[in-house]
Amino acid sequence: MRIGVFICHCGSNIAGTVDCTKVAEIAKKFPDVVYTAEPMYTCAEPGQTAMEDAIHEYRLDGVVVASCSPRMHEATFRRTVERAGLNRYMFEMANIREHVSWIGKEKDANTNKAAELVEIAVAKLRNNRPLTAKTFDVTKKVLIAGGGVAGIQSALDCADGGVPVILVERESTIGGKMAKLDKTFPTVDCSACILGPKMVDVAQHPNITLHAYSEIEDVSGYVGNFSVKIRKLATYVDWEKCTGCGVCSEKCPSKKTPDAFNEFTGTTTAVSISFPQAIPKKAVINARHCRQLTKGKCGVCAKFCPTGAIDYAMQDSIVTEEVGCIIAATGYDLMDWTVYREYGGGAYPDVITSLQYERLLSSSGPTGGHLIRPSDGGEPQNVVFVQCVGSRDKSIGRPQCSAFCCMYTAKQAVLTKEHLPESQSYVFYMDIRAPGKMYDEFTRRAMEEYGVEYIRGRVSAIYPDGLGQYVVMGSDTLLGEPVEIKADLVVLAVGIEAARGTRALAEKLRISYDKSGFFMESHVKLKPVETNTAGVFLAGVCQGAKDIPASVAQGSAAAAKVMALFARDKLENNPQIAFVDLRRCVGCGKCIRCCPFGAIKEKDIRGETKAQVIETVCQGCGLCTSTCPQGAAQLSHATDNQILAEVNALCR
Amino acid sequence: MPVMEGKELRIVGFLCNWCSYGSADTAGVARAWQPTDLRIIRVPCSGRVDPLFIVKSLLNGADGVLVAGCHPRDCHYSAGNFYARRRLEVLKRFLPVLGINDARFEYTWISASEGQRWQQMVTSFTNRIHALGPAPRFENATPLPKVVGMALPPSSRPLGTGKNAPLDDLKQGIKEKLPDLECVIGWQRGYDGVHTAPLFMKIPEDVEKLVWGPFNVANPAVYLPKFKGKKVGIVVKGCDSRSVVELLQEHLVAREDVTIFALPCQGTLDMSRVKEKLGRYTVVDNVVCDETEVIITVDGKKHRLPMNDFAQVKCRLCTKPMAVFADTPLGESPEVEIATHVPPELALLDAMNLDERMAYWSGQITRCLRCYACRNACPMCVCRDYCVSDSRDPRWMTQEADVTQKLFFQAIHALHLAGRCTGCGECQRACPVGIPILALRQQIARTVEELFDDYRAGFDPAAVPPLLSYEVEEKSIREREWK
Repeated sequence: MRIGVFICHCGSNIAGTVDCTKVAEIAKKFPDVVYTAEPMYTCAEPGQTAMEDAIHEYRLDGVVVASCSPRMHEATFRRTVERAGLNRYMFEMANIREHVSWIGKEKDANTNKAAELVEIAVAKLRNNRPLTAKTFDVTKKVLIAGGGVAGIQSALDCADGGVPVILVERESTIGGKMAKLDKTFPTVDCSACILGPKMVDVAQHPNITLHAYSEIEDVSGYVGNFSVKIRKLATYVDWEKCTGCGVCSEKCPSKKTPDAFNEFTGTTTAVSISFPQAIPKKAVINARHCRQLTKGKCGVCAKFCPTGAIDYAMQDSIVTEEVGCIIAATGYDLMDWTVYREYGGGAYPDVITSLQYERLLSSSGPTGGHLIRPSDGGEPQNVVFVQCVGSRDKSIGRPQCSAFCCMYTAKQAVLTKEHLPESQSYVFYMDIRAPGKMYDEFTRRAMEEYGVEYIRGRVSAIYPDGLGQYVVMGSDTLLGEPVEIKADLVVLAVGIEAARGTRALAEKLRISYDKSGFFMESHVKLKPVETNTAGVFLAGVCQGAKDIPASVAQGSAAAAKVMALFARDKLENNPQIAFVDLRRCVGCGKCIRCCPFGAIKEKDIRGETKAQVIETVCQGCGLCTSTCPQGAAQLSHATDNQILAEVNALCR
Repeated sequence: MPVMEGKELRIVGFLCNWCSYGSADTAGVARAWQPTDLRIIRVPCSGRVDPLFIVKSLLNGADGVLVAGCHPRDCHYSAGNFYARRRLEVLKRFLPVLGINDARFEYTWISASEGQRWQQMVTSFTNRIHALGPAPRFENATPLPKVVGMALPPSSRPLGTGKNAPLDDLKQGIKEKLPDLECVIGWQRGYDGVHTAPLFMKIPEDVEKLVWGPFNVANPAVYLPKFKGKKVGIVVKGCDSRSVVELLQEHLVAREDVTIFALPCQGTLDMSRVKEKLGRYTVVDNVVCDETEVIITVDGKKHRLPMNDFAQVKCRLCTKPMAVFADTPLGESPEVEIATHVPPELALLDAMNLDERMAYWSGQITRCLRCYACRNACPMCVCRDYCVSDSRDPRWMTQEADVTQKLFFQAIHALHLAGRCTGCGECQRACPVGIPILALRQQIARTVEELFDDYRAGFDPAAVPPLLSYEVEEKSIREREWK
């Protein structure tokens, strides 16, 4: 090989504490090094031009640049060597700035260390091979998992951009949590009025195929070419025929069915449409409460259905969709707050969750928007709001903030006053977190205009006083004294967690999730929408707690990512992926078992089982290489020989 | 390039590209001063760090090795660091048996934002290595004599010669199945009455050559992978069957292709002890098996060898003398009390300090001829012609005959067997110069058992081997307590 080594001065950043001339002198003696130079700034245009000239003049076939971190300029220099006609992988970097000149004070030691880092780089480069990317086709179709406001936004943006969308929703209607809300902060506008039109757009958009009451069964494939199996759960109603007239629900005799849409604040019928604005507006039979399905006797809905849509024999069915990208927008659930025994553990009818309170406030809710106590139907006088129930509480292993409770609690307190002007609201809070646009103004208004009393402190116990009210015991940490308030109704701002089934979905999508179960983004700051699996993007609360505007923004961001990816007809893979030396492979399958991406499959080659890397799926972690005992699986650009060369340069 | 004479020690770091390398960059940007000893090798993921890179570094002059990856759950590749954690923890507990101080190797998790923590970590690790001083090197030493007269652990069960085993029923069973099988692997009389040779039965006459008894020391499972894809039968002792289970687990033989014939085993002879007892001889006159002892007449002289004194150590510690499963179960499996004695090879090392172990291995391994009999006898060494020990690509080893190369090969073998070794002891038995190399595999097996819920290889073909899986929260690994 003919290797050129460029020892960058980086102004005085490196040259200040490293004797670059000496490093260059030492580097000249390394095997295959035929040229050394000491540019002032290698990354600047003159530096890059000089490098290109040197490659031509000295017929270099490999380049080492000793300068800053490869995380900074590896891509830059790879392009430079490529312009000069070399393969971009015939290039190595020695990090003598972040790892040497900036952290070591002694010039001799730094110089020595810099020379060694160059030696490692040269040793590795001598084992490098040119690598080329391969191209493959893209299926320009996106699947969105979750039809909450984030998923709806992604779906509409993609569909408007001309991308066919498959929207999968687990419930019988899209709308998610937002559909359950009465009003939204900080404008106090009606949730259904702003979400409803978007839901209708989803139903009517020619580019959107909606699979409601469906779950993702299995995901295979890779960016550009995913194959997703969708399980359509049995609704026992043929949606092709159902017109959403609601006669079945009217006639259904099983009237005590728990109403999940209303957060169990009321009851519904065994066959029902979850709410009037549901999309799709189709009936579903709750199999656990339907008399026909549990006892085999009834059949009332089938008798009355004008279109004959009822089908008691319906089974789950599987449909397969081929897509190029997937957006996960699976949202959240409230945590199980009954672990708080001191708040009654769910035993007191008038201690309810904030989401239940939304349903009581809502005019489409079980009380028709009339604010009453669930226990006796009376109008509450004193309403106490308790924040951070299951948020920021290390004692139950939930240290994270749920982000939007402060705001909706203020909104609910405001709405309470509007519903019942005589009422008095109290809010127990830890800190008021209102950093959004118009947010702090809104909480101020709650306090100042609506007379909501904010008490800084946690609630230690809630118990009935035996006279129909509840005693809420807490402390006011600002005054430093205990507080007791008699409440007619207590609303808990229950902390959120990733929606049920999130972990299972993460495994199917081969993405990671954090301690609380929320999906991990690729980079906390710079890649908040991407995941570590190419072609899988995140939108909404499934990635972490956020309010409606942020969810919508992320929904649009995910759509933009999808469309940017689909702007190309062909995708290029990263050539730094694993390959299998078929002669060495004995087909033991250890690599297949531990590959985090399912990127290795068994292949029959002339009657023998061998491992084969699916080039488009492999992400280049190299786990297979360190697993394969006979060294058959090798990660390009970090092969055993390349790393061994580095080790040998250091230890001998 | 030598390290700064007298000032610096040789410390190698393997850092994952995404988190740890980033943290070192962050520390640099923040001008967080650090000792200059560490040299960083950038790898894509901590899961890419083959523990053997670390052994290689330590055997070849590194005074310390530091591996850093993303925090658990933050891995850029989802799970690379989870696998790394298991493998590196096994390594950490393996190094001391070689005589290498495990404090010289550390692994930890650090995110790209934790520049300050990186500075602290490099400083404290460098200080630690300086406190330990330069690592002692394995040098070519005067060969130590073979270890003789290792204390025998008490036997967990009565040992015998298997004289009354229903061999004829077994032969009948084999003959019945033979027409459907390519061949059946077993043992036949060897070049004299005290040795057996492998037998490949293809026709009914071959079956008559089958022998059963204390001389069936070899593990026939070693031949099994060669018959992959063909219908084959195998006669096994309890220990051999565990190797078959491992091969099934690794899909190197298919369950439907292999017919397992088994008899309960009463123990086999430790041939090195037998050889010692018989001394040099020219002719074996007669071999008679009593119920509990073998009477061998060589050159006219009669030797009585009670199985209780002459059985292999593994037979004394054996808890499952019957095959894990068989297609023709013959004979009842005897009850065996579970004894947990440390095998004598390992007990010997347990009693030594690190310097003594290093001297022990230097002296023992110097005798190694690099003949690879240990590898060839190992039923789990399935790489065969593509063993990394004689390959240039990848080139893990050179052809030099020095002590580090020899010991490195043993480390390769031991670590490649992690979670797979059934302790059949064929490697040590096959060693023509009698190096007690089994201890290294035993240490790995003991570690795997300690770390992964008493996992023992060779009992369940459907089990997921512990080093090919992970737990998000490991019960027995406490790596994050390290600062």
